[in-house]
Amino acid sequence: MIREKRTLAGILSWIGLGILVAFIFIGITAPLLVPIDQTKALAYPILQPPSPQHWMGTDGIGRDVFARVIWGARTSLEIMAIGALLALVVGFPLGLLSGYAGGRIDRVLVLVMDSIYAFPGLLLAALIAVVIGKGIFNIGIAITVIYIPLYFRVTRNQTLSTREELYVEAARALGARPRTIMLSYIAFNVVIVIPAIFSLSAADTILTAAGLSYLGFGLEIDVPGDWGRDLSDAQRFLGAGIWWTSLFPGLMIILLTVGLSFLGEGLNDIVNPLLRKERA
Amino acid sequence: MLLILLTIVFAVLRIIPGDPVAALFAGRASPEIVALTRHQLGLDQPYWQQYVNYLAQIFTGNLGTSIGESYHGKSVLTIILGKLPGTIELTIGAMIVATTVGIITGVVSGTNRDKPSDVALRLYGTIIFVIPIFWLGQILQLIFAVELGWVPAQLRFSGLPLPAHVTGLYTVDSLLEGSLDKFLVALDHLVLPSLTLGLVLSGFFTKTVRANLLRTVKADYVEAARARGIPEGRIISRYAFKNALIPVITVLGLQFAILFAGAVLTEKTFSWDGMGLLLLNSIDSADYPMVQGIIVVYALIIVGVSVVIDVINGLIDPRVRY
Repeated sequence: MIREKRTLAGILSWIGLGILVAFIFIGITAPLLVPIDQTKALAYPILQPPSPQHWMGTDGIGRDVFARVIWGARTSLEIMAIGALLALVVGFPLGLLSGYAGGRIDRVLVLVMDSIYAFPGLLLAALIAVVIGKGIFNIGIAITVIYIPLYFRVTRNQTLSTREELYVEAARALGARPRTIMLSYIAFNVVIVIPAIFSLSAADTILTAAGLSYLGFGLEIDVPGDWGRDLSDAQRFLGAGIWWTSLFPGLMIILLTVGLSFLGEGLNDIVNPLLRKERA
Repeated sequence: MLLILLTIVFAVLRIIPGDPVAALFAGRASPEIVALTRHQLGLDQPYWQQYVNYLAQIFTGNLGTSIGESYHGKSVLTIILGKLPGTIELTIGAMIVATTVGIITGVVSGTNRDKPSDVALRLYGTIIFVIPIFWLGQILQLIFAVELGWVPAQLRFSGLPLPAHVTGLYTVDSLLEGSLDKFLVALDHLVLPSLTLGLVLSGFFTKTVRANLLRTVKADYVEAARARGIPEGRIISRYAFKNALIPVITVLGLQFAILFAGAVLTEKTFSWDGMGLLLLNSIDSADYPMVQGIIVVYALIIVGVSVVIDVINGLIDPRVRY
């Protein structure tokens, strides 16, 4: 599907996919690429600039920045998977229900979701993270709350327009029960919008997770790679002109989120032909 | 809307499994102190009782007193209002940067459709938006504060005595005082944080302005202007541009939530003394009433802003009616 167009978005979505696959590969093989010992404190002399031994230098407590960055990919992908998947699992059915049922359920759900959506996501996640505690799984949950409204909204809008289609009308006329209509007729036609939303929200998840860690509400201190915390640790040494502890973890965050955004916007163009026409 | 937001804040802080007071103390206090604190805050009462008290407090404008180390016994509202100008100054600075950069890049991009400059600016719009704010802040600090030494990297003010407190916005206060030196100091401190936050937000404006401009240049009245032989540059500036800006106002409103979240990060990166930093410190010092108060104030501001944006939209676009 992507191949048939050679628009900017089409090319970018291939680049994005490539970046994502590369990161998943790095994340899975992290233990083979760099021994976990290099990510621990006092593994090396502190604040060494980048050199052939330490490609990205060492940080303020003697950890190898390259090793931390590689392990960080693993951590980020784990949080992303938990956060974005949970949001999908909760937001999609709610959106389907709200869009199909309409009425009072719909109004209440929309109001609640819009309110959550209006609130600064990072702050809400931080609040939840403080209450339920640190850890990869908990952060995933805290982040989920921000993205449920996104899935909800998109699914609901799509459901609303699908509901009016002729074939749904036909199914209803044939006496199909609402459950059957929702699951067999509507759900599959709504689900096509999900991949684009998934990769865009996944990009945002990475940023939010890094933000939480940066603020100190993220992961336990012994997680072998945590880009946000590494950036937070790097802050103390900025004044001394130590650039490598800041630069590299940030570049990794950007690379992964840019990849996911490219992919998401490309997918968006594919499922949304109207938009494509407008852009082309 | 406001009520729901407040209820969500309440729900997050009270009903989610886990004890916020214990979580805030993070094992640094004995169970007795935790229990005592809970009792003092009325957290051992039934939920409905707490909920009623909570709403009553908010609507009477009394957000309780601080139990943290730095502000112990002081009114939460007073402390928050003291820190609010810092955040406002930062967000205004950031908005100026974001709208200026965003509108210029958006117009350039939209008027040079599919040319290299358009492609480059569209990439800019996508990439700048996903750059972590704190990272951009650190890199800007490294370049402009540490390496070049042009501007200070931290704090809101330094070197001179603070300007007399009128609005709490140091740039405005120093001008009211008639002191150009102080104004420049305040401005110097404001530049990097505003640039950081503003640049990250500008990507969104770039995209919106571009998309709207592309839509308005196809509109009939623009076509008509073109048919009358009005030069293209004038068409863009006089006819298309203004209408392309209307949705930007709406975007501005949507961006406020992101702006506040971003401000918390920026305030930490630059040790900027505002509400965000206060929130972080309050969480660190287990100051439960303060944390709750700050979140409530954020919610109030967000609802307020969305109302204001709706009103402005109605004023500039007569087609919008509520």
